[in-house]
Amino acid sequence: MVSKDCVAMILAGGQGSRLGALTKNVAKPAVPFGGKYRIIDFPLSNCVHSGIDTVGVLTQYQPLELNRYIGNGNPWDLDRSHGGVYVLPPYQSAQTEEWYKGTANAIYQNLSFLEGFNPDNVLILSGDHIYKMHYGEMLKAHKESGAAATIAVMPVPWEEASRFGIMNVDDEGTIVEFEEKPKEPKSNLASMGIYIFSYDALKRYLTDDEHDPNSDNDFGKNIIPKMLGNGEKMISYRFEGYWKDVGTIQSLWEANMDLLDEPPKFDLNDRHWSIYSRNMALAPHYVGSNAKITSSTVTEGCYIDGEIEHSVIFGGVELGEGSVIKDSVVMPGAKIGKNAVIQNAVIGAEAVIGDGAKVGVNSSADNKNASKLCTNDLVLIEGGAHIAAGEDIYTGSMVEA
Amino acid sequence: MRTDTMGIILTNNDRIPPITDIRANSALPFAGRYRIIDFVLSNMANAGITNIGVATESNYSSLMDHIKSGKPWDLDRKNWGLNILPPSLEKMTYGAIKGNIDMLAGISDFIQRSPQTYVILSLGNSIYNLDFSDVIKQHIDSQADITILYKDMRGVEEKELSRFTMIELDDKKRVTDIEVQPYYPKTATASMDVYVMEKALLESIVDECSARGDRDFVKDALVKKMQGLRIYGYEHSGYTDKIDSLKSYYRNNMNFLDKNIRDELFNPENPIYTKTKDQSPTRYGADAVVQNSFVSDGCMIEGTVINCVLSRGVKVKKGAVIKNSIIMQDSVIEENVDLSHVVFDKEVYITKGRKLIGQESYPLAIAKGTRI
Repeated sequence: MVSKDCVAMILAGGQGSRLGALTKNVAKPAVPFGGKYRIIDFPLSNCVHSGIDTVGVLTQYQPLELNRYIGNGNPWDLDRSHGGVYVLPPYQSAQTEEWYKGTANAIYQNLSFLEGFNPDNVLILSGDHIYKMHYGEMLKAHKESGAAATIAVMPVPWEEASRFGIMNVDDEGTIVEFEEKPKEPKSNLASMGIYIFSYDALKRYLTDDEHDPNSDNDFGKNIIPKMLGNGEKMISYRFEGYWKDVGTIQSLWEANMDLLDEPPKFDLNDRHWSIYSRNMALAPHYVGSNAKITSSTVTEGCYIDGEIEHSVIFGGVELGEGSVIKDSVVMPGAKIGKNAVIQNAVIGAEAVIGDGAKVGVNSSADNKNASKLCTNDLVLIEGGAHIAAGEDIYTGSMVEA
Repeated sequence: MRTDTMGIILTNNDRIPPITDIRANSALPFAGRYRIIDFVLSNMANAGITNIGVATESNYSSLMDHIKSGKPWDLDRKNWGLNILPPSLEKMTYGAIKGNIDMLAGISDFIQRSPQTYVILSLGNSIYNLDFSDVIKQHIDSQADITILYKDMRGVEEKELSRFTMIELDDKKRVTDIEVQPYYPKTATASMDVYVMEKALLESIVDECSARGDRDFVKDALVKKMQGLRIYGYEHSGYTDKIDSLKSYYRNNMNFLDKNIRDELFNPENPIYTKTKDQSPTRYGADAVVQNSFVSDGCMIEGTVINCVLSRGVKVKKGAVIKNSIIMQDSVIEENVDLSHVVFDKEVYITKGRKLIGQESYPLAIAKGTRI
């Protein structure tokens, strides 16, 4: 077997509980984003554009839809005879049977997968970030420095730095200290959760970590501090560009809204860095005579006869005459009747909104659907939920199916 | 999956200048994101047929680029799958294709090697969405030698009917007469140029015709053999037309603005597949006005678009007004341009403030890459 220069491992097992009803039945990386994508399309497409053709996707929580979505990897050109994409769930073996205990343990349990490709380097990615990044350049920096590990960092506003894992680096970019959510940050360079390890070092540290009963088996909490403590050479790789963690309903909504500015904060219409996705084989969208669409994106398969302002509309959505959608995200196949009004909402896939319903328009102190997860007055309607004709869903609601 | 039937698509060479100057008719961009051949190909794939030959005549590089391995139709198979068959000059009577018999003779090796019993033969410029399983079933049940798909076109004007091969049927649906594009049609039953028969019969017809220098499958084989063969009709009640002129190209595109036609041709139970381009969703600007239009992914619309079909990646800048038009992939309409009844091939660029007006009876067609 030809050894691989770099194999990518995408951590896609997390539940994403802060996304509420959006991740009740699917893993976070399978959550729809940006009109025709799923979150996992971003790391997968980045890998392919970066020349990485061997990718393991580590799944655990609700993997069914994610497995089916990835399939044989063809949409990302990852249906390779030598390499390609592999879905890696936890498994039983003669010695052990256990779930992935933490990010580091998940990779540890798949060392035999990595061994099969005998890679020089391993790229560790998260399945919940929206960004376009050339990992090949990071790999080049990693190899040139001879570091044991390279960590991608990006500058964040100082006032928000205490929410992140902060890397303190010297003038050459070598990491001297790592602080998880520091109260008084010394730097504003946040870890993006993107690591390249030299394979030998990774294997050694993961194996040691596994034998440490006090470890949480987590890269951020255990592996990185341990390596720094042992004086391993670790460098930072500075990323400038759009990057967003979409772990909450509000951040997911915001990241969708970021596509709508002119020019957009995050541009998906980039012919040199297309984001690939599994295609739904839908016809072009039809815009009716009563429609008015402004400052929005609309995808194939839609039937639009109402008004859409500043919203992201996924494939196969129907919107009846007289309905108005504003500042919202409507996921695939949702059906919205006539004269409905939807504002500041995330409407899940295949949800049905009846004629004349109001979603996110009025507020009430006595809201039985109120949810702490729906910050900033956002409304989340779970995929497949039915909102009856004329029903009034107050701001800050989460409606389950 | 259906192991007893193979498909043969004869790509068509009806010329529609300037849009067929650079590609075969069957490879014409159509209905926004599709090519004409997608309809026939998807129908065959949806019936579970996994051995399909696409016989080409000339100008086939765009077709090959579109079809490639056949992946979008799930036809990238270990056994059989999709085969693009370029013309074989050696097998033609006079070294040039003069009729569909020449095309079939040119692919006789492919036909011979195929292990299937039945063959569906279709021209590559027909638009329809139907279930071939039902056609094959009727063909077998009726013990027909050949089954011809037809459409009852009563109510369509005579001049339009003259574009088709007209057939006459008895009350048991046996074909009693065939006339190719008659000036005064006797009936209103038009052949869809789709035939089902046993592969062995097709082989013997092709062999006999080419041995005698006959060139046309319908005029030389079906018409002459009508008495000896049991030729039956299968009625398709849904939408069908063929793309053989700019007028029919324009009209068939515009028909997608009709909900009933859209719903029938894009039936989710029988999807039409095409090559994917991974374009981002279409963006509408703050001043966009779009009405009664069929819009593909990857467009950026800042102007006004009314009664139009837009392919992928079309840009319509502020103040531009496009009405009753068909705009193919990656064309750019600059600010304050005024367009009506135009057909733009790919990558047409219209500079600021220009005005181009065609008529419904005579749409203005502009060649690929033209800058005005």
